[in-house]
Amino acid sequence: MEANDVDDEDFQFSRSYFLAKELGGYGKKSTCKLSDIDLVDEQELREAAANIQPKHESETAALMDSYKSFYLDWGFELRCGFGLLMYGFGSKKALLEDFASTALTECGVLVINGYLPSINLKQVMIALADLLWDQLKTQRRIPLGTSSKVQQPFNSRSMDDLLAFLDGPQVEGDECFICVVIHNIDGPGLRDSDTQQYLARISACSHIRVVASIDHVNAPLLWDKTMVHTQFNWWWHHVPTFAPYKVEGIFYPLILAHGGTTQTVKTASIVLQSLTPNAQSVFKVLAEHQLAHPDEEGMPVNTLYTICRERFLVSSQVTLNSHLTEFKDHELVKMRRHSDGQDCLYIPLSTEALEKLVLEISQ
Amino acid sequence: MAPSAAANSPPSPENTECNLQPFFVLHKALPSNSERKSMEKTASRKRTRRRIDLSPSSPKSSEQSEAEFAGDHHLRTDAFRYVWSKIDSTIKNVLRNINADVFNDILFWVQESFNTTCSCGMPDRAKATRSYPVVTGPLSKQIYTGLVFTQNMELVDDLLTFKDLGLHLTSHGCHVANLSSFDFSAKNGIDGCLRGLLRQFLLANLDVADMSILASWYIDQGNYENPMVVIIDDMERCCGSVLSQFILMLSEWTVKMPIILIVGVATTVDALSSILPSYALQYLSCHKFILGSPADRMEAVIEAVLVKQCSGFSVGHNVAIFLRNYFFRQDGTLTSFVRALKIAIVQHISMEPLSFMLKGLSDEDSQDLWSESPVFLPELFKRAFDLPSFRRNELTETNEEILARGLSDLKRLKELWSSAVMCLYEAGKGHKITMFDLYCETLDPELHHSRVSDHHLGLETKVGMSSSDHQIRERLQNCGFIHQVIRKVRDLPEVLLCQLLKNWEKHTKGIIEIHAKVRELQSSLKFEDDKGLKQGLTDLSKRQKIQSNFNIEKDAKRLNEKTTELIIWMVKNYMLPIECIPFHEIICFTNVSKLQSALIGDPRRTIQVDLLEFHKILKCKCCSKSGNNPLPSMHDTSIMYVLTQEHGDLINLHDWYQSFKASILHPRIKRKHRLKHSPSPKKKMDTSESRKKSEASVQAQFSRAVTELQITGLLRMPTKRRPDYVQRVAFGL
Repeated sequence: MEANDVDDEDFQFSRSYFLAKELGGYGKKSTCKLSDIDLVDEQELREAAANIQPKHESETAALMDSYKSFYLDWGFELRCGFGLLMYGFGSKKALLEDFASTALTECGVLVINGYLPSINLKQVMIALADLLWDQLKTQRRIPLGTSSKVQQPFNSRSMDDLLAFLDGPQVEGDECFICVVIHNIDGPGLRDSDTQQYLARISACSHIRVVASIDHVNAPLLWDKTMVHTQFNWWWHHVPTFAPYKVEGIFYPLILAHGGTTQTVKTASIVLQSLTPNAQSVFKVLAEHQLAHPDEEGMPVNTLYTICRERFLVSSQVTLNSHLTEFKDHELVKMRRHSDGQDCLYIPLSTEALEKLVLEISQ
Repeated sequence: MAPSAAANSPPSPENTECNLQPFFVLHKALPSNSERKSMEKTASRKRTRRRIDLSPSSPKSSEQSEAEFAGDHHLRTDAFRYVWSKIDSTIKNVLRNINADVFNDILFWVQESFNTTCSCGMPDRAKATRSYPVVTGPLSKQIYTGLVFTQNMELVDDLLTFKDLGLHLTSHGCHVANLSSFDFSAKNGIDGCLRGLLRQFLLANLDVADMSILASWYIDQGNYENPMVVIIDDMERCCGSVLSQFILMLSEWTVKMPIILIVGVATTVDALSSILPSYALQYLSCHKFILGSPADRMEAVIEAVLVKQCSGFSVGHNVAIFLRNYFFRQDGTLTSFVRALKIAIVQHISMEPLSFMLKGLSDEDSQDLWSESPVFLPELFKRAFDLPSFRRNELTETNEEILARGLSDLKRLKELWSSAVMCLYEAGKGHKITMFDLYCETLDPELHHSRVSDHHLGLETKVGMSSSDHQIRERLQNCGFIHQVIRKVRDLPEVLLCQLLKNWEKHTKGIIEIHAKVRELQSSLKFEDDKGLKQGLTDLSKRQKIQSNFNIEKDAKRLNEKTTELIIWMVKNYMLPIECIPFHEIICFTNVSKLQSALIGDPRRTIQVDLLEFHKILKCKCCSKSGNNPLPSMHDTSIMYVLTQEHGDLINLHDWYQSFKASILHPRIKRKHRLKHSPSPKKKMDTSESRKKSEASVQAQFSRAVTELQITGLLRMPTKRRPDYVQRVAFGL
């Protein structure tokens, strides 16, 4: 009987897939262009996007309120050693932070914004270690002898050392832990497998409890069985909120904005600030060139290399290339063919926007 | 540090400063935390009896005082800790016992290999710590390698095994390092695994990773007294080139440091040759060990945790079936099974306020279950007598004595059930009848009812399905496993029968009713044996011999019948499924759907359902009547997702935008409506108003909805090749 159900489900699934495929190829594909829509000015669009009237406000608020009754249970689950994984449509940022600040007052809470494009995990771990150290100190749980050994600054320690500190021994019956709230653990800044491995190792530490949210339908593919069952130890909670993805969506370009994938000044500056000072300087060289020659198609790579070398920003072509790859990955810089056949680099931002950006990163 | 700037002020969601930090400290632990906590504790102890909310899993009202929360929390935590520590230690013991033989074999082999290596003579300190090789014959470069076949593709179940193996070897004086495939990754190279090795042996993080450091450390440890063992738990996932480099390096050093390798292999011995090149393989001198299969481990765990009920906690029939299906069809790892059990315990304790009695119920010597109870007694009784399993009995009298008797009956009946199941399992052991199947079947309350109401069962099996009653036949076929076991008992040869009765005697110890009957059967078996023996000894004529053989056979058949009757009698009278016993709700978890939703999140399906049926979650009345047509009042992303269902795998952005615009400005239903009736002035106003809605806001709504769908991963964005199309990712739920 159950086997039949599974077959049925499979059949339904393949049927709808092929139907969809057929629909696509069937008859004439619509040839309308995006540009046929009478698109409004980008500025206006952004303004309108910021002022969209929310629908069903009272119902969403009631839904959020209804989750409050689960806080006690969630706290209990955390104490029993599980990690909470929240999923369902809608931004769960407010929900998670509300839960953490009302029900988890007994422990320190650190929030990671996984929706940002780049996150330095080492820094996170240093902050976690600091937080735990403070907590252990105020609760007077550090044996006198060890304090001198542990007191050395955390930021000079290796990842393994930090993990060992977070995974220290617990007092039976009176555990001391800190909670890590990870918004969008499947977000772009945390999506690679190395980061996920580290997150899994962090959450397996005895002093750490994790509350995370996912939004992507394929998020579980990030983890293997070892991570799910022994490290994260997820307890799934379906908590749709239908709240707009305001912050989470900042880094996604508006589809109807002109140019489609353009960066905004804000997003670009956030990405740049997470890079090394040298990389920022390289970017500035490129920006200055573009501002000085607004009519040119871009800056040839060789010219950029020569200038950067002169200013001691890079020592070899390899280092420059690694910076450029980083820029391209975050869509800060694009490549195009010059009319004379040379490859050249440009920043896909308008002159005013670029000026503003340079000003922001120079601060 | 900059990111902790907002430490003291919990930010609102609009607090953009924090939202754009990669991370920030939301708040620190309350400074007077420990003092407050201890105060709370004493307070909750003083107030040993207080009123708590005894309605099961009711949403706690927000007015409930914090102190009460704390008390409730301690109660739950205590109960959980008690139950889980019992189960956890039981499982660990079971696994350790299963592996004990293999571990001892490995230890013996390690010591032997170490002695062989050492017998070649060991260099002195100066020689040993030099980084260039000691010149010797090729034989001395051999590394003793134990291949441990896990018989299991799921590494997660064996992580603990290899950790235990490490501890076992350490406790017998070996120096052990446990490495995993992460130490042998191409990214870190040989340096990574050396570092891991030094870290584990020397317990220090060194900047320079060098084997000579290890060599001098080893000599400091006692100069060739104890073997060094390196355990690699999942050989198949290691990077081949790094592993072979590691082996070459060890072979160079093996004269100076007798390192013994133990490698976990999930597949077959061929895996070794497919990962390592022949020049590395030639240095390995292999020895094979085989671990117990995952199915065996599962059987043992089920027996110890759920049948013998080490903690008093048990699960209902539906939950057992779910756990079995989850193990056999979905996940297949013991680890996930144990995790599911843990979730079930937590859920039971948070849903059932009386679950705090679990501790008293499973303690041997605790007499008074609720004298220590923190719950107001009349409330406790009321709750207990309100349990459906008690109300079924339609008893009007309710007092303390009845509850006490009920609970001791519960305990007793559980023990009876458990020993009956063990007897059944013992009988079916050699016949491919697994504990898990048997366990699930014996928990089925419906089967039990049919067994009790059906007086034919004993007779039926006796005469071998001669009845024309098809219903009974069907039922017996359905209840396959118990029936199969009974049939096996009937056909058991005498020697095995004798063995079986001996085992039954063991399992029924302490249960007078059954034990006496088993003993009786055993003594009659001995009697028969003696008779047969005597007859065999005396000189008999051929005809007499045949006659006596015939008699013996007949007697044996009679014994088989008796044994069969006994097991049927046990099944009928003593194997009462937990869900048929009054007050079982206190110790038994039955909520499958809750367990399932916590254990298996299905975001791919659920997020789509959220979008397609969002009115069910928001409980709004305006959007529920739409059927498949999007209404303007619906959530934008929901409208968009409903619209995508009409498209093929590619969605033209222009068309999609137009239909979105149409559905929020001129809903289809209203349009149809208008065709039938003349438009009222009010509606006219509505439409003119909606026309005013600026194009910009529609475009903004559209763009945001696309972004939200992109965040959920339900759409693939336009590419250079297809700038005007987005692609659907999910088809069907």
